[in-house]
Formats: sequence, C-alpha cells, structure tokens
Amino acid sequence: MTAILNVKNISKTYGTKGANAYTAIRNLSFTMEKGEFIGIMGPSGSGKTTLLNTIATLDSVTEGEIIIGGTSLSAMNEEQLSDFRSQQLGFIFQDFNLLENMSVFENIALPLSLRNTAVPRISATVQQASTLLGISGILEKFPAEISGGQKQRTAIARALVHNPALLLADEPTGALDSTNAAILMETLSDLNKEQKVSVLMVTHDPLSASYCSRLLFIKDGEIDQELHASNSREQFYKEILEVLAGTNERVIAGEAR
Amino acid sequence: MILKLSLEGLKRKQRDYFILFTGLIVSIAVFYMFLTLALNKEFITGNSVINHIQLVFIVGIVLLSVITFFYLYYTNAFLLSLRKKEFGMYELIGAKKKQIKQVFLLETMLIAAAALGAGIFLGALLSWLVSSLLAAQLNVEFIAFKVFYGPAAFWTMVYFLAVAYAVSFINNRKLAKASINDLLKAEVKHDPLPSKPKNSALMIFSGIVLLGIGYVALFFMEILRFIGLFAAPAATTLGTYLLFASLLPIIVRKWKRNKKMNFRGLNSFTLAQLSFRLNELKWVLATIAMLIALSAGAIAGGFAFKNNAVLSVDEERLYDAALYNPGDAEEEVLETIALEERLSYRFKMDEEFVYYVEDELAANPPLIVDWVSYETKRPGPFPDNLKIDEDGYQNLGDQWTMALETINPAFSTLGRHRIVSAETFEQVEAEEITIVLARSDKFSRYIEQWQELDRLQLQDGARLYIPMDLEYESLYSKYSTFESQYAFASGTFFMGFFLGLAFLTMMASILMFKILSGANSDIRRYDSLRKLGVRKKALEASISKEIFIVFLFPALLGLLHVFVGMRMFTFVIIDPYYRLWISLLIFLAIYGSYYFFTVHLYRKLVLPKG
Ligand SMILES: Nc1ncnc2c1ncn2[C@@H]1O[C@H](COP(=O)(O)OP(=O)(O)OP(=O)(O)O)[C@@H](O)[C@H]1O
Ligand SMILES: [Mg+2]
Repeated sequence: MTAILNVKNISKTYGTKGANAYTAIRNLSFTMEKGEFIGIMGPSGSGKTTLLNTIATLDSVTEGEIIIGGTSLSAMNEEQLSDFRSQQLGFIFQDFNLLENMSVFENIALPLSLRNTAVPRISATVQQASTLLGISGILEKFPAEISGGQKQRTAIARALVHNPALLLADEPTGALDSTNAAILMETLSDLNKEQKVSVLMVTHDPLSASYCSRLLFIKDGEIDQELHASNSREQFYKEILEVLAGTNERVIAGEAR
Repeated sequence: MILKLSLEGLKRKQRDYFILFTGLIVSIAVFYMFLTLALNKEFITGNSVINHIQLVFIVGIVLLSVITFFYLYYTNAFLLSLRKKEFGMYELIGAKKKQIKQVFLLETMLIAAAALGAGIFLGALLSWLVSSLLAAQLNVEFIAFKVFYGPAAFWTMVYFLAVAYAVSFINNRKLAKASINDLLKAEVKHDPLPSKPKNSALMIFSGIVLLGIGYVALFFMEILRFIGLFAAPAATTLGTYLLFASLLPIIVRKWKRNKKMNFRGLNSFTLAQLSFRLNELKWVLATIAMLIALSAGAIAGGFAFKNNAVLSVDEERLYDAALYNPGDAEEEVLETIALEERLSYRFKMDEEFVYYVEDELAANPPLIVDWVSYETKRPGPFPDNLKIDEDGYQNLGDQWTMALETINPAFSTLGRHRIVSAETFEQVEAEEITIVLARSDKFSRYIEQWQELDRLQLQDGARLYIPMDLEYESLYSKYSTFESQYAFASGTFFMGFFLGLAFLTMMASILMFKILSGANSDIRRYDSLRKLGVRKKALEASISKEIFIVFLFPALLGLLHVFVGMRMFTFVIIDPYYRLWISLLIFLAIYGSYYFFTVHLYRKLVLPKG
C-alpha cells in the first residue's frame, strides 16, 4: 500500500512572544494509507482543527513536514498551495461553507470550472456526483432553499467532484441531527469503500467515528491513543466509548490528584 | 461601561473607520468648496457674470444637499453594518437598546465633528487650488474671492451635523427593529434571492420608448422649445430608471445562461455576485447614470461655451482688426502676426455721410458672409452705377452694404454711406482717414497682439474719429467683442466645471460606499473560495471585474445622455461638441480613480490577509 499522507514530527505554535505563544500541536507524526478512513477525536482545544488546517494547507506548521501524495507542502509557495488545494484536496466544513449566491449545481461545479473543464464534462460529472449523493433533484435550487442535510451533501459533492486525492472533513455532522448525520456517514463510508476515496475526518461524535477504519485520539497536541476498526461497527462503537470514558476518567483522576 | 466597550470596538475596526472618515472629509471639502463660491457675496457681486447665473448656484446647492444626504445615509449604514454583531453582543450581556442607540448616535456625531474640522480645511485648500487654477487658465482675476469664508464654514457645519443626526436616527430605528439574533447573525445573513423580473419585456420596451422620446426632445429642443424642456428630462429620467430596473438583471441572466462562459474559472461566482449586486443596486445605479449625465454634461457644456466665445466672434467678424490711421507702433505689432490678408481703404466723413472711393473698393473687395448660404465670399459688382435717388439715398445693394460694415464696423450703425468716384472723394471737405483691415491665420493665436493694437488705437482717441464716446464705451473691435463674450463664457465654464466636479465626486463616493457597505457579508464567501483553493490573484480579478461592470453600466448610459444632450445647446452654442474628449477625459480620470479606489478598499475589506 502507498501512503497518501505523511505527517512527520510536526509542531504548531501560535503567537511568537513568550507569554502569547501557545503550542497547539507537539511533535506529532502519523501516516495515512491510500483508501483509509481516519477519524480524529479528542477533547476541545486539543488541536484537532489545527492539525486538519495544517494538512489542508490553510495553515503552516512551525516544525516538521507534511507530505501529501508525495509532495511536501513546505516546498510550495502561496499560489502553488492554492492550486494544490483545488486539485488534490476536497473539503467538508461543519457549517457547509456553500456559496449562497450560487445554485447547488454551480456550487458543485465550481472546482471543475476552476480547472477550466469543458462544459459537457462538467454537466456529466456534476450529474454523476449529485446522483451518488441523492441530490440530483435540487440542482437548480439555492442553498437558502434546501435543508441542512442537503446542504452537507452538496458540500460533499463539491468536495468530491474533481476526484481529490484526499477528502478532509472538520466535524461534518456537527450541524446535523442524528438521522441526517447517520445518512451522511453512510454516504461517506460508501464513498470510501466503493470509490476508494481517502477520508480524514475530525469529529466529536462517537457514532460518526465508528464509521472510520482507524481513529487517532489527540490530547494536548499529541497522539494519545490509536484504535483500529473491529469486525462490526457496533463493536467498534463500544470500544470508542470505552476509550472516551477512559480519557475522561484520567482527566477526572488527574484533576482530583 | 457600554461606552468604553464601544470605544474598544471602534479601535478594533480602525481601518474601516479610516476609510469612512476619508470619504466623509472629501465630501465635506466638496460641499464647503461649493458653498464658498456660492456664498461669497463680494465675489458674486464683483463678478457680473456669476451674478447673473446665481440661480444655477441655488439649484446646484439643492442638488448637492440631496446627494450629500444620501451619501451620509449610505456611509452611516456602512458604519452600522460594521458594528451590528458587536451591538448584538452588548444586548446579549444586558445593555439596553436605548444605551446602544445613544452610543451609536454619539459615535456618528463625533466622527462627523472630527471630519468637519479636517474637511473644511481641505475644502479651503481645494477652493484655493481650483480658483487659482481656473483664474490662471481663464486669464481673469477673481477679485474678492475668499478661500476661508465664515458663512460657508458655518453652513457646512450646520448641514453636516444635522444630516449626521438625521441619518443616525433613521439607522437607529432599523437597529431597534432588529432582534438580538438578527444582529448576532448579521454577518451570515443571506441576501434575498433576486426575484424573477415581472413584466420585464414591457418595462424594457417602455424604457426604450421613453428614452427615445427624451432623446428626440433633446435633439429637437430648438423646435419643441417649451415642451422639449419638460419632456426631455422627464422622459430621459424615467426611461433610465425603467431600463436599469429591467435590463440589468436580464443581461446578467443571459450571461449566466451562456454555460461556456459561466463555467469558466471563477466566472460563475463573479456573475452570481454581480446578479445579486445589480439587483440590489439598480435604483442607485440609475440615479448615478443621471448624475453622470448631469456632471459630465456640465463640464462639457462649460468647455463648449468657452470655445463658443472664439467661434462666434470668428463668425461675426471676418477681419481680426480694423485700424484707423495705424502708426509705426501698430505696424510693428502687425509685423509679429502671420497675416493672411491686409487691406487698406480711405474714407472721409462729413456731417451727413461717410465717403469711400469706388475704385479702391472695386480693386480690393473685402470678404463678406452670404446671407443665405452663410459662405464667405467677395461682393459682386456695384449695382446700377450707384445711382442716388431723390431722397439722397444711394442704393448699394445687400452685398456692398455688408462690405462697408466689414470695413468699418464702428460706423455701421450710422447707415449713411456713399461710394463715390475718386474725383468726388477729393472734393469732399473733410479729413482723409485710412483704415487697415487685417486677417490672421487664426484669431485666437494672437490674442495678446490684438489686445495691444486696441490699446494703441485707444491711446490717441483723436486719431480715430469714431462716433462714440470712448470714455463710456469700449472700442468696437473684434478683440473687445471677444473679450466680453469670453468673460461670460468663462463664468459659465467655471460654473459647469465646478458643479460637474462636485457632482461627480459625490456620486462616485456614493457608489463606493454602497458597494463597501455590502462588503461585510462577502468576507465569508471569499474565505470559502480561498479554502477551496482559488488563487488570491483570481479572487482579486473577480472583484475587479465585478465592480468594473457595476461602474460601467451607469457610465455608459450617462455618457450616452451627454452625447445626445449636448445637441440641446446648438441654439446657444455653435459647436457644443467642441473638445468633448477633454470633458470625457476628466470624467474618466475621476470616475476611474474612484473605481480603482473602490476595488482597492473592497479587496482590503473582504480578502483574507496573508
Ligand atoms: N489562530 C489561533 N491563534 C492562537 N491560538 C489558537 C488559534 N487557533 C487555535 N488556537 C489554540 O490552539 C488550541 C487548539 O485549537 P483547535 O481549534 O485546534 O482545537 P480543537 O481540537 O479543534 O477544539 P474543538 O474541538 O473545540 O474544535 C486551542 O487552545 C486554541 O485556543
Ligand atoms: Mg475544532
């Protein structure tokens, strides 16, 4: 198997001067294989979003190196990073980040038009992606006219339409109710299994996490624990709950001491 | 407490406030500059031309006040949009609406007061600059023009403070109506979707018809007169509004339908932005188109009017100078001029008649203008042997009557001329006077020489034998005719230029702030795009394109109005289109710099840093 993502000893420190400086990530390393579905969990403020943002090239690391699909991010300038994002990465955000002045179709098509894909190709690909996600009936609507679940599926379609090497998601189910969250995770899981899309997802929700193939638990900017998927999702879910309970106990115990 | 918090908030948004502040200062400066000119009593009464057209000033002040009001209204709305979220937060932690309103009012008034100080200073500087520039350019002196003028400063202050109070009152009411939730979510607010235009075909049709009526009225103003005077502005304005309301959304819709164009690069986003923006701005844009027409028209009208002084005097007088008994001094001056023609005639004058020599006239007939064809030509042969009838009236015919007027314009009102043979001329007992007609290649090239010739002629009044009292009347020379017409034209030019500049800067500022006040809700969009991997250059280009089109539409229609509208002046001005390009250049320079400024500020506001 080939590594799609290689995170080597990265650290991220916000601010520069002594009192203001805050190290959100400390000497963190992991490798992601092609086709993996990795979940990142951890308490609030542990550095999950920071980690995702550095991988997403939206933020730079203070130390260490990130390699995606064989390319080191630190070697690229701002423009190259932009191009890299638009070609190699797909994003799903908690609050969807759809452009509300454009129709669902136009939103999904944006990554393709940015690469100047021919119109027939765009139409076909958008059709395909929207059918896959069950939103082909609302393509002409505007984001203000569709539900939260539909918005998130639109966002996924947009993140996938250009066949990115890596799909990044920061709490994609955070703004959805449990039913919509489940539908969404099924979709992501299907995409991962059938289309072999590599997914890296930050989540708080143990149920959403149970769809992943591997989980990284982060604490204070470091990987605290790692968990591989079990035979069944139910089993995995239980294990996740145990780990989370364990972390909580440790926290409480730590405080009591 | 709230006040302290608010001051901190103000500090945080320093940059945005600075933009607002600069705009306010400029508008105050323009307002003040205009008032100085309009209210400077000594200046107005001292300048007879300006005195005559004070009505235009009053109209100008009214218009300027209205524009300034909207200008302040939009800037204030912009200010509020910057602080909405913060005010919502104060409410959340228990501040009363009343307190927040007071804070906002106080802020508005403080900003207005601070801007007034700087603005009036800048205004004085500007009026000094503009007045001295114009004075130098027009070759006139503005006597008693005070740059620091008390009443103008006073009224500027009164007006701006009153309007600042009024607009913050209006915006405060909007603030009062908004719930905490609305305020907190102000930044993620969705724009209303542009509704499908109803009856747009009908609106476009009637818009075009009305514009057509307006243009026809402008074009045939001379024939239509009074009806035209009312029909032209009414129909043009109405047509403009209808067209902007119906045509703009359709144009963008058409663009969006063109898939090849829409799905290329960031175009779909740019066009989406544009369709929302044009929908939101259509009334403002229509107003701006009208104001552009007004301001560019005023500048162009001023120019054309000024040029008219030269043109009309050239048409009226074929010879640049008519010199009586020119001496060495005059000859010296004449030598410095490239003369195309120089004619010399003798005449004598007794109690009854002015006598000319037949042979001299026949040998060198002067140029005249044909009454019917307006062509310049030489007069034909004398009619019927120049018989004299029983009443002692000599029939000279139209052509030769005119020729004598050309030769001796100062005497033309006398009406009693005789063209006689050389022998008869010798017998007339009166002093013989020589008159020299000079025609240069271009009158306007030798203004200083003509002025000097006039001075030399006047120096020795006794030489002239002119039937007028030179102590009270000016010399009836081409130069003096030119001078008085030029003074009047210069006054009009000054007015047009000043008014046009004031309008243009004001309305471009309005457009700028209207655009900037929507910037806050765009920040998220550009951030999303950046995350999706759109290059910063592409984002910048998208902004340039979008704002360019917003600026373009009113300019196009406004300038079209000017092109058609200038024809209206044909019955007062010979060539109203004279050097229209200069006015256009001035317009483009100002409007263009506003465009670039807006783009620059907008980018600063919405694009992610770093
Ligand atoms: N731009 C920033 N400047 C300074 N500190 C920051 C910045 N962004 C994040 N931090 C700090 O870094 C730490 C990690 O933040 P991060 O957003 O990565 O947490 P998270 O794990 O995503 O939390 P949550 O689950 O609440 O989203 C936090 O303590 C936060 O205060
Ligand atoms: Mg986070």
